[in-house]
Amino acid sequence: MASYSTNEFRSGLKLMIDGDPCSIVDNEVVKPGKGQAFNRIKIRNLKTGRVVERTYKSGESVEAADVMDTDLQYLYNDGEQWHFMHPETFEQMAADKTAVGDANLWLKEQDMCTVTLWNGNPLVVTPPNFVVLTVTDTDPGLKGDTSCGGGKPATLETAAVVQVPLFIAIGEELKIDTRTGKYVSRAKG
Amino acid sequence: MTQWQASASFELIRLRADTLRTIRSFFHKNNVLEVDTPTLSSATVPDPFIESFQTQYVPLMQTMQTNHFYLHTSPEFPMKRLLASGSGSIFQISKVFRQGESGKKHNPEFTLLEWYRDGWDHLQLMTEVDQLFTLLLSPHLALGETRLLTYEDAFQEMLGINPHRANKKDLLDCTEKIGLANVLDEHEDKDRLLELLFSHIIEPALGKSNKSEQSNKSYICFIYHYPVSQASLAKTCMHKGQLVAERFEVFIDGMELGNAFHELNDVQEQRQRFEKDNQTRKLMGLKEIPMDEYFLEAVATLPACAGVAVGIERLLMIMSQSQHINDVIAFPFDRA
Repeated sequence: MASYSTNEFRSGLKLMIDGDPCSIVDNEVVKPGKGQAFNRIKIRNLKTGRVVERTYKSGESVEAADVMDTDLQYLYNDGEQWHFMHPETFEQMAADKTAVGDANLWLKEQDMCTVTLWNGNPLVVTPPNFVVLTVTDTDPGLKGDTSCGGGKPATLETAAVVQVPLFIAIGEELKIDTRTGKYVSRAKG
Repeated sequence: MTQWQASASFELIRLRADTLRTIRSFFHKNNVLEVDTPTLSSATVPDPFIESFQTQYVPLMQTMQTNHFYLHTSPEFPMKRLLASGSGSIFQISKVFRQGESGKKHNPEFTLLEWYRDGWDHLQLMTEVDQLFTLLLSPHLALGETRLLTYEDAFQEMLGINPHRANKKDLLDCTEKIGLANVLDEHEDKDRLLELLFSHIIEPALGKSNKSEQSNKSYICFIYHYPVSQASLAKTCMHKGQLVAERFEVFIDGMELGNAFHELNDVQEQRQRFEKDNQTRKLMGLKEIPMDEYFLEAVATLPACAGVAVGIERLLMIMSQSQHINDVIAFPFDRA
């Protein structure tokens, strides 16, 4: 079984901790001038998203998690599962609700996503940082109002609701930052 | 930023220069002589938790001859040889090297200020450390009142446990209670458990006032009278019915800045401690270190004295409120 020594610890390294795949967020060497050294790490549980702290005696080894990030194209949702395809091998893969989570709000057919695989199965789906989505519903804005002062909610084609400026109308394409869930601009034609 | 450029800002490169100048003038005023001892030496420290860099001396036009030399991890042994020869109080600012020590607060090559006070004990030296630190730090941050705490009191205050009397089971129970279960098992030496508790729970709280307190100030915090099993090169004494090591460490903002001893000058005891270190190394699967016979010979005439070693980079980190040691080193290990 593959494992990593504490000497190899760095941000992003994937480890198996308490039976769950985790990713190192922060690694700190705790070494007194005289005495035993430890590695204190902050880890994100990739299944639950929770961040916890762990300490290891320096020099110990920890089991590696067979976790891999792949870029896959989102195809469609069949009501239960979200289907993705590898752009070169055309291999298809289905992710369930737990793996997709909030990414559901930003998934648009044909868009490329990062799908984190654990033992070959989708664990987490991360949408692109920016997506372009069409407004399906919003209150009519005041004509000619281009100020940034006010805002209103707009529903997008994926059912996500974002705050947009008053001048945005139904049918417009908007650029959204998926990390913050915020409107960035109108998509440039 | 590209890798060939300095990782420290010029502001901090200047701060280092100013700090070294202030230190030199402080010792000049106090009649402490600046000395220079070798970086390369034929022997090194056998401490099982300090690993030395090793290299070879090759005579000209020969490739076979290999005489092992070590890069010093501290100038302690040759400085004590000077004291034993009658130098009086001395200080040194030198680059030292330690294997494997790399991280936010560690660089394998770092700057150590080490000084010895002829005829003093560790408690007298503590006052001088406080004076120097206050001089260096007060222009940069508002310091609260300096605090002195015995190792025992620190454990009692923060963990409700007596570190001298507690057995391994007590300490393991304690690690479990505070979320550090399974880091070490019952086969580990008691000192490893103490070190785990100290470095994870006590140290982060030293020299930093509680958030609840109104004055959110950093302060200088001395921890003294360590367990005899952690005496290293310190003398021992009785304190409130407990045999303790005459050693202190100094902390600010949850970070260790220095370590000091009332220096052991008993040759037999010193040799035994080195032998014990080598036994521990053997058990840990580490190479044994040849005894520094020059040093051991000098210990016989070492006057009563106290010495301290202070990490200059750590001091600069406190002054500049830097979160990473690379911010205060022009070219840290990954750019060296």
